[in-house]
Amino acid sequence: MKQFNRRALLALGAVMIGTGMAAAQDAWPTEPLRVYVGFPAGSSPDVLARLITEPLSRKLGQPVVVENKPGAGGVIGVQQMLAGKTDYAFGTTINGPLTTSPRLVENVGYDVGKDIAPVALIATSPLVLAMAAEAAPTDIASFIEAARAETGAIAYGSVGQGSGAHLTAELFADAAGIEMLHIPFTSYAEVTTSIIGGEIDAGFMAPSAALPQVQADKMKMLGITSSEPFAQVPDVPVIAGQAGIPDDFRAELWNAFIAPAGTDPAILERLNTEVNAILDDPEVQKKMLAMGWQAQGGTADDLARRIADDTSVWGNVIDRIEAQ
Amino acid sequence: MNTVEGILHGFSVALRPDVLVYCVLGVVMGTFIGVLPGIGAMAAISLLLPLTYYISPEAALVMLGGVYYGAQYGGAVASILLRLPGTPQSAITTLDGYPMARQGRAGVALFASMVSSFCGSMIGIVVLVVLAGWLSRMATRFGAADYAAMMVLGLVAASTIGSRRPAKALAMVVLGLILGSVGTDVNSGVQRLTFGQTQMMDGINLVALAMGLFGVAEIIGNIRNAEREGSPPHVSLRQLLPTRDDLRRMPGAVARGSALGSFFGALPGTGSTISSFLSYALERRIARRPERFGQGAIEGVAGPEAANNSAAISAFVPTLTLGIPGDPIMALMLGALVIHGVQPGPLMLEARPDMFWGLVVSFGIGNLILLVLNLPLIGIWVSMLRIPFRWLYPAIVVFVCLGVYSVRGSSFDIAAVAVIGAIGYLLAMARFNPALLLLGFVLGPLIETNLRRAMLIGRGDPMVFLQRPISAVFVVATVALIAASLWGAWRRFRSRTAA
Amino acid sequence: MTAIGAFVALYSVAQYDIGSLRRMGPGFFPVVLGALLAGLGLMIALPAWHRAGEMRPFDVPQALAVLAAIGLFGLGLQGLGLALTTAGAVLIASLPAPRRGWRWRLILAAIITVLTWLVFKQGLQMTMPVWPDFPG
Repeated sequence: MKQFNRRALLALGAVMIGTGMAAAQDAWPTEPLRVYVGFPAGSSPDVLARLITEPLSRKLGQPVVVENKPGAGGVIGVQQMLAGKTDYAFGTTINGPLTTSPRLVENVGYDVGKDIAPVALIATSPLVLAMAAEAAPTDIASFIEAARAETGAIAYGSVGQGSGAHLTAELFADAAGIEMLHIPFTSYAEVTTSIIGGEIDAGFMAPSAALPQVQADKMKMLGITSSEPFAQVPDVPVIAGQAGIPDDFRAELWNAFIAPAGTDPAILERLNTEVNAILDDPEVQKKMLAMGWQAQGGTADDLARRIADDTSVWGNVIDRIEAQ
Repeated sequence: MNTVEGILHGFSVALRPDVLVYCVLGVVMGTFIGVLPGIGAMAAISLLLPLTYYISPEAALVMLGGVYYGAQYGGAVASILLRLPGTPQSAITTLDGYPMARQGRAGVALFASMVSSFCGSMIGIVVLVVLAGWLSRMATRFGAADYAAMMVLGLVAASTIGSRRPAKALAMVVLGLILGSVGTDVNSGVQRLTFGQTQMMDGINLVALAMGLFGVAEIIGNIRNAEREGSPPHVSLRQLLPTRDDLRRMPGAVARGSALGSFFGALPGTGSTISSFLSYALERRIARRPERFGQGAIEGVAGPEAANNSAAISAFVPTLTLGIPGDPIMALMLGALVIHGVQPGPLMLEARPDMFWGLVVSFGIGNLILLVLNLPLIGIWVSMLRIPFRWLYPAIVVFVCLGVYSVRGSSFDIAAVAVIGAIGYLLAMARFNPALLLLGFVLGPLIETNLRRAMLIGRGDPMVFLQRPISAVFVVATVALIAASLWGAWRRFRSRTAA
Repeated sequence: MTAIGAFVALYSVAQYDIGSLRRMGPGFFPVVLGALLAGLGLMIALPAWHRAGEMRPFDVPQALAVLAAIGLFGLGLQGLGLALTTAGAVLIASLPAPRRGWRWRLILAAIITVLTWLVFKQGLQMTMPVWPDFPG
């Protein structure tokens, strides 16, 4: 119950600071920090954000309010962050809104290069290639072979047109030189049901969505899209370098802390330091891993590079899909 | 661990003082959240979720579950008293619940809804315990073609409810289908009818639609009558108990509603809104005098309320037995489990029997508490009608706005309520039935995505709908239903020309 | 009665317009549905020209007040905060109420404002501004 009281005090503090009653700290915003999250409370991007904001508020000695503005695959969260600039608004977001959404969504209303200041990468999550346990292929090589037997022989599910799962599958298909039939769903729950029910053959999915079914011998995982084995499913082989797939094959979802461009560099610097310190905490790492995310960290430049790299990789995949 | 041992074990978990306290807390909160128009279980659970990090996983899940099924009880209250659905699941309850209230039988309607909710939940629990294995196998066998065929049957069966003029009824269903197609098309990623608005990419908010269509129009229409303040439509607390005739009509409706609800609740992606609609359609179809419906037929309250409550319970079947959440609320519950370090999935029953059985038993206890809590509350709800409407309606307007805002923190959605409200008012003036619009809106996207998905999976061959046994049954039933209605219409036409 | 006719006609036109612009794949459903609705609209509107009386009387001031109150809420919540928006919306919504006088309206606005603050801000911990953002 102590925790509840602390929360209540924080809430009270927020009201007081909000009405201008608190003393100013030098070179640091006096208002509570707002962190916009483009997904509903309780979703995994939201839980990741809260794993950062709770210790952040302790470290800064200042309330940090999470604002959930879900919609349009996270784009609305970024839009709202930019709209709320004056409030010392920050955001955490998945990769989509910064890399692929500007291509896929009609007028997103922001330019990632001009309007967004990267702060730090929070965590990454690879996808696994999963099939029903009784399916014939046993590894990546035999999967590719089965797919080559006939064009569109393998039907795979994703969580929507242009989703990470869809683009990853197309990136893989391109690298392997195969063509698969894309069946869009809206959630991993539907994809899982459809694979187990034998309606579709495969799917690239979050390890945490596949793992319970694998443990119950209903599904198997043929490979993983990260460049290193992933701690949540250490036995699943890395796809890169197998059966003619290039060694630099990598497809990961990620989650990052961002700010609107034009935010005071001193503030960005401080936030990067604090976020990295929080990500160093083994307890935080453990919690993230349980949800299927690997804690990362690093400099703002690292994140900027990641955004640029992924934008071009996924841009090529989108070009390929649109050309079909 | 067999079922009896499991249940006994469940009692030892569910009766733990901390779990019991959070169970009571959950169902009480659920009731009030259900009563408040607009704010539903989804918003409440996601707002509560961060607080549950600090309590034991059993207590957390029991509390969140309590909010979920508790909201189904509360949702009916506003539907009956104000023709303002507290939750989308109870929208259909307005059709007969509100006329009952107008006839001074608000107490009876509330009593019927509470008792039906309770019976529906209890039947749902029995189904959960006895048929969980069968239902979960069923759920994985349902493919896209089966869903599409089933939903079409549902749409055809329900599309003429509550309207004397078929053209008007169909127009509403079609309008609903069109509104349902707004947003990103699942199959192509194309943004349809969004007019470039990012806010509309995920479609029109169901809660905003329900509030605008039902609530706003009703409020506007009633302000004129607010002059007759202090004289609510002849409500007497003594008229709380149902008549013998009511009691005779209820059990059948409750049983059928619970069966429908238990089945549809367990199928991922369908859920309690649809089962309440289908239950209503079924009751009206089999009624000897269907014209009573819409005029305050008690079956129209009892059936759907039993259906949405049993669906709320059986929705836990795929979540707990397969680790596959059937709707966004169940996905949140799974998220809560993961945060607490419990791995949901097919192995959960073996790995964490305390969670599974504790939750199942807590459903029983929670529903008992709800019944005990809600029966005395009926008097209070009914006496709320004594508050002059001029005091009440500005508060309802504000609560609707905040409830809609709570869904996804979007001011855009509040503005949408104003627009939908204006349209809803025009439609109500022209005596269109908003429930049918809502039906089309809910079923439309399901039918479209599953139909097109089935065609994709079948590599473009429409025969998939007849080759799969489940879908073939639904297709045949749909054709039979249409044939029966045409036959009936033709006979009526002939008897008229003969006369 | 003319209102329905005009309404449905306008509606059909709008639907056709939208329908024909769509590509076959994603547009298939909307086009079919749009056409269907237009047809049904005519089926309802044509016989209705000859009859009268299915229309209920419009309550124009009441409708405008309620819709304006909701509109204010949508536009004002972020900038003005919960307290002012709620009070404002209550005052606007209560304008067409039959009872005259300002005192009861102000009391009502105060009660509802406090109530919403208790239920939504304190009880449910929803994140939204309570007061306008004063610079500084």
